Amino acid sequence: MRCGNQEKTEMTTKKLTQLAMLTGIAFALFVVELQLPGLSPVPGMKLGLANIITVYALFHYRPGDVILVVLARILLGALFSGSGMSLLYSMSGSAFCLTGMLLLKNAVGEQTIWISGIFGAILHNTGQIVMAILVTRTPGVIVYLPLLLVSGVLTGAFTGLCAQAVIRKLPAAAVDR
Amino acid sequence: MKTKRLTAFCAGILLAGLAGSALVMQKPEDSTVRIVQDGVVLFQTDLQEAEDQTLSFVYEGRSNTVEIRDHQIRVAEADCPDRLCVETGWLRTALPIVCLPNHLVIEFADEAQEADIAVR
Repeated sequence: MRCGNQEKTEMTTKKLTQLAMLTGIAFALFVVELQLPGLSPVPGMKLGLANIITVYALFHYRPGDVILVVLARILLGALFSGSGMSLLYSMSGSAFCLTGMLLLKNAVGEQTIWISGIFGAILHNTGQIVMAILVTRTPGVIVYLPLLLVSGVLTGAFTGLCAQAVIRKLPAAAVDR
Repeated sequence: MKTKRLTAFCAGILLAGLAGSALVMQKPEDSTVRIVQDGVVLFQTDLQEAEDQTLSFVYEGRSNTVEIRDHQIRVAEADCPDRLCVETGWLRTALPIVCLPNHLVIEFADEAQEADIAVR
């Protein structure tokens, strides 16, 4: 583990810079989306543009690196949106989203990356609902899940297709693994 | 093959979501609503019989003003950061009005009981 894979697990300056840049782009997308008027008054229903970066990173970097990028973006996002509560929901949503996408990664080919986007989005929404039920201690909140599933499939397909387009333009050979 | 199965799964989720949405967007038959904070029922009333009134609920210094008018209920004013509960408007469907920052939920009682059973 230590000798054989050192090259792969090592955090080179180049990789660190790339991950930092990805975090920056994800954070910028997140802030831009904050400024857009809400799609609907349903809590948690949003485009999830930052998911583009998560899906992109998933196919170009190691799982640990993806988790780092997402964690950094969530912390920055919570700081700048000024809402401590949203941190809880983002954390829970992303935990579900990352777990599912990492498990599914091998089943999804380069041509069908949009499927990753869909799974990421609906798992993110599920994680948020679970957290909302825990926070409000009101199981009734679960009736929002069907609405969020519909929006999750649609927005997830969109962000997944965006990630797929980016990956096609910026193939794996161009970046450190 | 895997791709086909995953695509079918996504389509299934979408259809299930659409069907579920149609279900929860219907108007509930029972007119009993309740206001719940942190799992505790603070207030319960039958909207058909309720008189017009405003109620205030304070959570950690932030308040939600709930208005009952013409047998309808809504959050009229809130000083939570996102004010989603105010934008939700009047409670018309099984979808509860939720104020996540203040842990406040306004819901029709019968729908809530069904959801309780489903979760347990």
